[in-house]
Amino acid sequence: MSEKLTLNQKINKLDGEVEWFYSDDFKLEEAAKKYKAAVALAKDIESDLNELKNEIEVLSEDFSK
Amino acid sequence: MKNNQSLRDDSFTPTEFISVVNQTLDYAYSSVLITGEVASYKVNQGKWVFFDLKDEESSISCFMPLWDLRMPLEDGMKVIVRGVPKITKWGKFSFTVSVVKPVGEGSLKKAYELLKKKLEAEGIFDQAKKRPIPEDLTKLGVISSTGAAGYADFVKIINARWGGMKVFVAHTQVQGLDAPDQIIRALQYFNEHGNVQMIAILRGGGSADDLSCFNDEALVRAIAASKIPVITGIGHEVDESLSDLAADVRASTPSNAAEMLTRDRAEIKGKIIRSVGRISQITLQEIERALADSRSSIEGIMKKSLEQINLARQQNVAQLRRANSLIKAKYIDPVLESNREKIRRSLERIKTEYERIKNSIEQKSKLLEALNPETILSQGYAIIAGKISPGSVVKITTLQQIIDAEVKKIEERNNNE
Repeated sequence: MSEKLTLNQKINKLDGEVEWFYSDDFKLEEAAKKYKAAVALAKDIESDLNELKNEIEVLSEDFSK
Repeated sequence: MKNNQSLRDDSFTPTEFISVVNQTLDYAYSSVLITGEVASYKVNQGKWVFFDLKDEESSISCFMPLWDLRMPLEDGMKVIVRGVPKITKWGKFSFTVSVVKPVGEGSLKKAYELLKKKLEAEGIFDQAKKRPIPEDLTKLGVISSTGAAGYADFVKIINARWGGMKVFVAHTQVQGLDAPDQIIRALQYFNEHGNVQMIAILRGGGSADDLSCFNDEALVRAIAASKIPVITGIGHEVDESLSDLAADVRASTPSNAAEMLTRDRAEIKGKIIRSVGRISQITLQEIERALADSRSSIEGIMKKSLEQINLARQQNVAQLRRANSLIKAKYIDPVLESNREKIRRSLERIKTEYERIKNSIEQKSKLLEALNPETILSQGYAIIAGKISPGSVVKITTLQQIIDAEVKKIEERNNNE
């Protein structure tokens, strides 16, 4: 079961995945798998960026009293 | 007497009369705003504030509890006050003030500086207390007037830049005497409900008087005391309120607050595209490097193998040479030596036989030479051929001549003579 991440969490996760490619942990054997995962996550983020809207709710409380 | 009695029945006690007058005043002037200059300001027993509010001709005695005074007061400051008129039990007119606010540039500035100094001394504006905007901001509280242009700008910008955020908006006044209390209540609401990660207090540009509510001491303290980080976007860049100083983050305007609170989706998209491109490039570079390393390793292995092969070949050649030498010395040389002796002996025999044959041929040659007619002729002899009989002609051959001669006489020769 995949965890439900917020857009920022997805972006941070992608940053972490990209960082792996620059780190000493980089292994060519794992790179293809990691690259595919990063591309999939990037597409997911782009989709979110295109589709997600802010939800604005004006509170019903009366702050004048 | 009757009239006197009636007069007594209709009369008030002083207490009753004051009470009636106060009721009448309260009914007629339940909330009055008066603007004037402060004079004879004093605080009694650390709890009660007294001052006169005057203009060129008149003066009103004002009273208020110290805890309701939310700005520093000094004689000479021009203020607006809200309150109710009242007759005291001593029969003196008084104005009970609930709110006091400076008016006019000079008073606003003076009040600002006095309160700033006071709050600074208490550490209300300490930078060390400032908290950053949460990394993953998904729930935001906004305190603003929903009809204000600044609020509209804010909403427009956050929607253009970002998505997926839940924004709860507390609609309050953002100018005037009631604004500070309404904003404080909204702050309390968000702090009590705890359902947002950050609170934004927004108000577009305005005059110094419009924005002066954000220098309210109670509001400034409430912002500083908020458990939830507060960002302010009040007025324009040049406007700096005490609320700005107390907030965790100060944005110069509501639009700037929107930019600080949200990431730009277009920028993020660009960054993601660049990141994916970069990791693709890194992977390709690493693959090329690995291939180069492998090639280098293979070349190294091949070179080493060749060296080993050459070394082995050289060793084999040496071994073969040694083996050849051994074989030659042990098997071939003795045979050769043996054959050489045999050949030598055969040659000797051939040579002897040759000498013998040669001598024989020489002897026979000498004999033949001796028997040669020419040899005999050269010795002075002549050869006579033909029938030897008297009168016959014979052919005489000498070394130099051939002569035909006639036989004249024949005599027998006696060899024993």
